[in-house]
Amino acid sequence: MHKPFKWTAIVLMTFIFVFVSACSSSNDNKNTSNSSGNNASSNSSSSNSSGTDNSSTGNSGGNTSTDSSNTSEPAGEADKYDPPIDVTSVRIINDTYKFMEGQTIDNNMWTQLLEEKLGIKIKYDWVVSGDQPGGQGEQKMNVSIASGDLPDFIPVNAKQLKQLQEADELEDLTAIYDKYASPFLKEILNQDGPASLNSATFGGKLMAIPNTGSSMDGAAMIWIRKDWLDKLGLQPPKTMADVLAISQAFTTKDPDGNGKPDTYGIALNKDLYGGFADITGFMNSYHAYPGTWIKDASGNIVYGSIQPEMKTALAEMQKMYKNGEIDKEFGVKDGGKEAELTASGKIGMQFGQMWNPLWPLVDSKKNDPNAQWQSYPLASADDQPVTPQVGFATGQYFAVKKGAAHPEALLKMINLFVETGWGQTTTPENYAKYFTGDGFEKFKMMPFQAWPARKNLDIHLHVTAALDSGDTSGLNPEEKDNHDKIKSWMDGSSKEPLNWAYERVFGKEGSFVVINQYVSGNQLKLTEFYGAPTPAMVEKESNLKKRELETFTKIIMGDSVDTFDKFVEEWKKLGGDQITQEVNDWAKNK
Amino acid sequence: MFLKKWSGQLPLHLMILPGLVLILIYSYGPMFGLLIAFEKYVPAKGIMGSKWVGLDNFRYVLEMPESTQIIWNTILIAMMKIVAGLIAPIITALLLNEVRKEVFKRGIQTVVYLPHFLSWIILGGILIDILSPTNGIVNQVLGWFGIKAIYFLGDNHWFRYVLVITDVWKEFGFNTIVYLAALTSISPTLYEAAIVDGAGRWKQTLHVTLPGMTSIIVLLVTLSLGNVLNAGFDQVFNLYSPQVYETGDVIDTFVYRIGLVDAQYGVATAVGVFRSVVSLFSISLSYYLAYRFANYRIF
Amino acid sequence: MLEHYTVSRRVFLTFNYVFLTCLGIICILPIIHVLAVSFSSSAAAQAGYVKLWPVQFTLSSYDYVMHKPAFFKSILVTLKRVGLGIPTNMLLTVLIAYPLSKEAKKFPMRTFYAWVFVVTILFSGGLIPLYMTIKETHILDTVWAMVLPGAVPVFNVILLLNFFRGLPKELEEAAFIDGAGHWTTLWRIFLPLSLPALATITLFATVNHWNSWFDGLIFMNSPDHYPLQSYLQTVVINRDLTLMSSADMKSLTEVNDRTAKAAQIFLGALPILLVYPFLQRFFMKGIVLGSVKE
Repeated sequence: MHKPFKWTAIVLMTFIFVFVSACSSSNDNKNTSNSSGNNASSNSSSSNSSGTDNSSTGNSGGNTSTDSSNTSEPAGEADKYDPPIDVTSVRIINDTYKFMEGQTIDNNMWTQLLEEKLGIKIKYDWVVSGDQPGGQGEQKMNVSIASGDLPDFIPVNAKQLKQLQEADELEDLTAIYDKYASPFLKEILNQDGPASLNSATFGGKLMAIPNTGSSMDGAAMIWIRKDWLDKLGLQPPKTMADVLAISQAFTTKDPDGNGKPDTYGIALNKDLYGGFADITGFMNSYHAYPGTWIKDASGNIVYGSIQPEMKTALAEMQKMYKNGEIDKEFGVKDGGKEAELTASGKIGMQFGQMWNPLWPLVDSKKNDPNAQWQSYPLASADDQPVTPQVGFATGQYFAVKKGAAHPEALLKMINLFVETGWGQTTTPENYAKYFTGDGFEKFKMMPFQAWPARKNLDIHLHVTAALDSGDTSGLNPEEKDNHDKIKSWMDGSSKEPLNWAYERVFGKEGSFVVINQYVSGNQLKLTEFYGAPTPAMVEKESNLKKRELETFTKIIMGDSVDTFDKFVEEWKKLGGDQITQEVNDWAKNK
Repeated sequence: MFLKKWSGQLPLHLMILPGLVLILIYSYGPMFGLLIAFEKYVPAKGIMGSKWVGLDNFRYVLEMPESTQIIWNTILIAMMKIVAGLIAPIITALLLNEVRKEVFKRGIQTVVYLPHFLSWIILGGILIDILSPTNGIVNQVLGWFGIKAIYFLGDNHWFRYVLVITDVWKEFGFNTIVYLAALTSISPTLYEAAIVDGAGRWKQTLHVTLPGMTSIIVLLVTLSLGNVLNAGFDQVFNLYSPQVYETGDVIDTFVYRIGLVDAQYGVATAVGVFRSVVSLFSISLSYYLAYRFANYRIF
Repeated sequence: MLEHYTVSRRVFLTFNYVFLTCLGIICILPIIHVLAVSFSSSAAAQAGYVKLWPVQFTLSSYDYVMHKPAFFKSILVTLKRVGLGIPTNMLLTVLIAYPLSKEAKKFPMRTFYAWVFVVTILFSGGLIPLYMTIKETHILDTVWAMVLPGAVPVFNVILLLNFFRGLPKELEEAAFIDGAGHWTTLWRIFLPLSLPALATITLFATVNHWNSWFDGLIFMNSPDHYPLQSYLQTVVINRDLTLMSSADMKSLTEVNDRTAKAAQIFLGALPILLVYPFLQRFFMKGIVLGSVKE
């Protein structure tokens, strides 16, 4: 009976081995990641010596979109840390991140630039792919927060910012912001109004730098199959009555000419708010503002979805549903599924956003080269002008862990980002090297960003001006890129549907014509509430939202319109009034 | 005597030891996280630093206006899934067992396991197409028999059945394999004896095959009872819509909304604890019943 | 065994073949659909034209996948994970199932042990405490973080212990009379007799390791360390268009590349589908292999 003993020994050995190798492999891992970090930095410094000159000196083609008269040298030598400092952060990316040959998220043109210009070496504690709300990135961040594993610079959402702030884990950035943010950065952070910075301010203290975006880019507009419109001899819509007539004609007059009643007037998805073919634009035409907070006549903040205008608009949608102008099965189809209908040429009109040609309208074009989509501003249901609602454009904040050695480094890095992108000192070469060029979206490599709200609108304005004048010398590389795509489509030298899509967005008839009209007419309606969720929202909102969706869907599908009144009553009773109170309190104290 | 007995068992303890250690570290260790169910948990404050709220989270869930409906939906859907998910693989395994052509048998066995590999995101998109009342294949077939088109995914009468049938379809291949493995371990001598007694195929199935599978059936039933409050999040989430909230909203989707939209971790954990306790109770009960009446320890 | 082909038997067999064929077709159609999508042009797929046959046949999605290093990197991670995870799972399953299959008279602690394991199916501490445990045991960002926490597949243990109990008692007793200890009995008697059960749980363990994705995303600190399914999860997920930032306009054009997704889903499931028939051979061989007749 030797064998049993032997067997035991083997098993025990296996386990010892397993544990030992587990430990050693984790150690190995640390070592390798450390050494690769060192390699990365040595690589970057060597490649930098042969890299470009300082962008601040190579100031040849100063083509900026801003009229800021401040000339600052945010990336000047004075800002450089010598000896270089190490900072830690974390990164949430997604599948669209593409790396140039030999580069990685830890070692790329931006990490090199930051080290060369600012003497800052970034090390990521972790990198996770999955940036959708509630997705892997958010979960991983929550885990990090909960286990006390915070890096120096922390990218967070509004919820996490509030939690960290309440737990007193963050550095107060008020003074640092005043002292270190470049005038240009300050201008960008305020371009979309003061809301962005306010949303990161708690009790008068600025606790994070917002990654500003553009709220105007999210404004709703009408997209119509122009070829169908022409075929049926109809005029572009001026009023909501026109829109309804077009919808009816698209449904009943066989616009695709296949002899079958298989087309729909408008597209609508089951989630109602957000995604492709949502309800917002339609509602705005009736001066109803679903899911957002607006000021009523007496100046109080109220919830848009429970206002009487909403009822009128829903009643109209119910009629359209009954007439077959909306897909009978919209209630089970999300944005992606509605996009399928659109791409297969069943949809003649949809209330959407400026980016729709890039997805999914381009697929409609691919499947039917005759399909032509045209954007129009929202049409009013009465004699009052339409004011499209726009959301709050800041979804990400950069906070600094309490006690971090160099909080000001965050500002220096963001200064460098905006200056490289749109500052007076940047050059086309510089832009191509660090933003978009060689077919890569290089700006994604930079962890700390802020975006000018007007960027896309400016592309449209500059590109159309250049198309008229034929002079492209004033365009920055991103604009030039768009210009070339659009031009190649317009002069027929390219049949690539994607170029058509860019023309539909930035071109002379593009969707930014509509946005420009909204912006210059000062029509956009920004949400009145942009703070972190209030206590009652946290407790009650998901339930109220569910009721809202359920009620509205059922009304569209034929439930009595009067259930709306019942819903409003319930909404108030089940916590809505409490939330409204808290929102108004917030507004008074902000 | 005692010593001898103990040393006889020593190898048995030794065999269990490594697994036990791992489970103590990685399963029992983290269970202190269940405390979150009794806290107003804020990640930044940690489990030890968050405010203790006793049973408030449980109370919050039970006092939600929808909670009765949600719990009822969950139990109904879960129970139907347990029953259907039990019967379908047994029947398939028995039918496969009658097949003599090895190639055919293996082919079907492989194929029924396939849907398991597709996620509900993908299947959701496919199901919307094939169940469509206007041009879905299922309704076209029903049309041949003069049955009016049914809006399977948007009709509260049908939605739960759709959930049950599609879930069984996706997962029955899994248990079919377990039953087939059980069938192979029935001794051929039993069949030979039955044939000698003049039993036909049907009688053999009834008196040899099924009794041979009893223990594994009882086992799988007991384990599946751990799912009495589990209606399957991915599936419901990808198939439901506001119009069928009434019959399709379940505990999992509710937890998703409060956990994700509102970040109420305490409530989400409380629901989890509630579910675990109910499952433990139902498993213990069936364990006891099997032991008491069949003198059979399930595990 | 003699077969009597009576009329009713023939009817039954015909019905049986027809029924099982239909069942098979219903189960295979979705994956054929995915396959057809992966070979179609993206515009056709986007418009929902593709049913069971490729529309505008193209290999471009496979070409795209073949040029994605991340896809192959993740396959390597998965292979490593499966290579370490399956032996660990199987070893522990066998070692735990054997003592637990003993009767309470012979091994009084068994019931206690059994419940200790079963409770872990029902209660779990949740993500954050598990993460902290993994960090404390220094296996974060290593393949062990995906192997050790799930090292004991309790469901499989219970299956196997029931199979063990179904084995003829005489064999075990004979072995003990011959002087064999528990280790020898397990190794020489139990395991050879349990091939169908072992094949089944090997399959379950493999599929389990192959398909898990969440642990990879949370316990790995870099996408380079993702196993295949974690990687696929980041590709296949439906992106929330409401949060598309205007900086991300270009990625919109990649949002719905269904064909590439389909290709990756298919390639991701393929290895399991290839392994499966191989394991199946063991299901067929039952107790006939040895035992009683010897």
